[in-house]
Amino acid sequence: QSTGSSGINAEYGDFVRAGSKIVCVGRNYAKHAKELGNALPTKPLLFTKPTTCYVTNGGKVKYPTITNDLHYEVELGVVIGKRASQVPIEEIMNHVAGYAISVDITCRDIQEDCKKERSPWTMAKCLDTFCPVGEFIPSERIDPLNTEVLLKVNNELKQHGNTKDMIFSVPTLIEYINRHITLLPGDLVLTGTPEGVGPLQRGDEIYAAIPGVTEATFTVE
Amino acid sequence: AEYGKQWYQRRVRGTKIICIGRNYAKHAAELGNQVPSEPFYFIKPTTCYVENGGDIIYHKITKNLHHELELGVVVGRKMSRVPKEDVMAHVAGYCISNDVTCRDLQEKCKSERKPWSISKCLDTHCAVGPFIPASELSHNNIEMVLKVNGEVRQSTNTKNMLFDVPTLLEYVNRHITLLPGDLVQTGTPEGVGPMHVGDIVTLSIPGVSEASFKIIDDC
Repeated sequence: QSTGSSGINAEYGDFVRAGSKIVCVGRNYAKHAKELGNALPTKPLLFTKPTTCYVTNGGKVKYPTITNDLHYEVELGVVIGKRASQVPIEEIMNHVAGYAISVDITCRDIQEDCKKERSPWTMAKCLDTFCPVGEFIPSERIDPLNTEVLLKVNNELKQHGNTKDMIFSVPTLIEYINRHITLLPGDLVLTGTPEGVGPLQRGDEIYAAIPGVTEATFTVE
Repeated sequence: AEYGKQWYQRRVRGTKIICIGRNYAKHAAELGNQVPSEPFYFIKPTTCYVENGGDIIYHKITKNLHHELELGVVVGRKMSRVPKEDVMAHVAGYCISNDVTCRDLQEKCKSERKPWSISKCLDTHCAVGPFIPASELSHNNIEMVLKVNGEVRQSTNTKNMLFDVPTLLEYVNRHITLLPGDLVQTGTPEGVGPMHVGDIVTLSIPGVSEASFKIIDDC
């Protein structure tokens, strides 16, 4: 693995293979928290997905047999380039290599059961193919404080948000996570979804994009 | 043995740690939980790993850090929808482990109906002993002991598991692919309790394996 003079690890471009984990943030857009009947958080809500969730552009999202309500959630993904552990907020963005448009696939019905039973969200969030991602985008091409993300299903617009509506900004989230969980090169941080989440059916085509920057397509099977 | 050495040295360390919950009846009872009808599990990232002789961090966001003695199963071959009768052929070996937990944060996650990650996924919160090749142990007859400062706190035999190792592996691999080096922690018996800064925690499979860890402050 080679590192540049900034310490950024050059493997980050292939983050799907190089990274060790996906850290996800929930309820980070006010209207999305509201649409699911959730209170606004006072601190970031975190969960993780394993790297066996990854699907790359053109790939298939598997509709599991155990759910009847599979949902899409478009998110800005942040790719870590340099190991971060207890790095303060003023330096944290030096550890970011870039971004990727991402979809946090969720079994909404199972998630509701997990919440009722007060159990971990694993079966709702962590199954194989539950993190479709687009290509790596170098950091200079994105302003994390003002980036549009959108998602269409079968060419119909479903979500269209802007990261300026985040409750906790990208630097805030990464600093919060890295206080107690070390982030490694290639790790991905999903930063929350705007309003407009909804169900997918087998055979649907998902289109996720940062307009003018990147796009990716996936099919549900 | 070479595989085990490489796994332990984090060269073939795998991609995730699957942690089974409530797999011993008396442990479910001691935390006021019902016994589950099927396995349930959560996932720790590999930044949780700490090896024999290392330090477990008492992170400043918790006031009640708990130990949980568990048998760890090390995956040796990729597994996806492997049927139960074939799962054990995919196991490389075992290790003794401690699923370190911020109990107060876990209670808060449960009362707020949130994911458990903040209580389970912090750095150094998966303490593991050395790799033991599969041929050396029978998964359903392993004695395990956890001591804090020389005093026994947890002690069990894996025959007390509600769901045995093959059942657990088959259940997980139905929907989540397991990769070489992945670890499956198989649940903890009764006797979970607090650790404090300065404590020495030892995990053992008597006569087979032992590991010890020190609890240190979060600076």
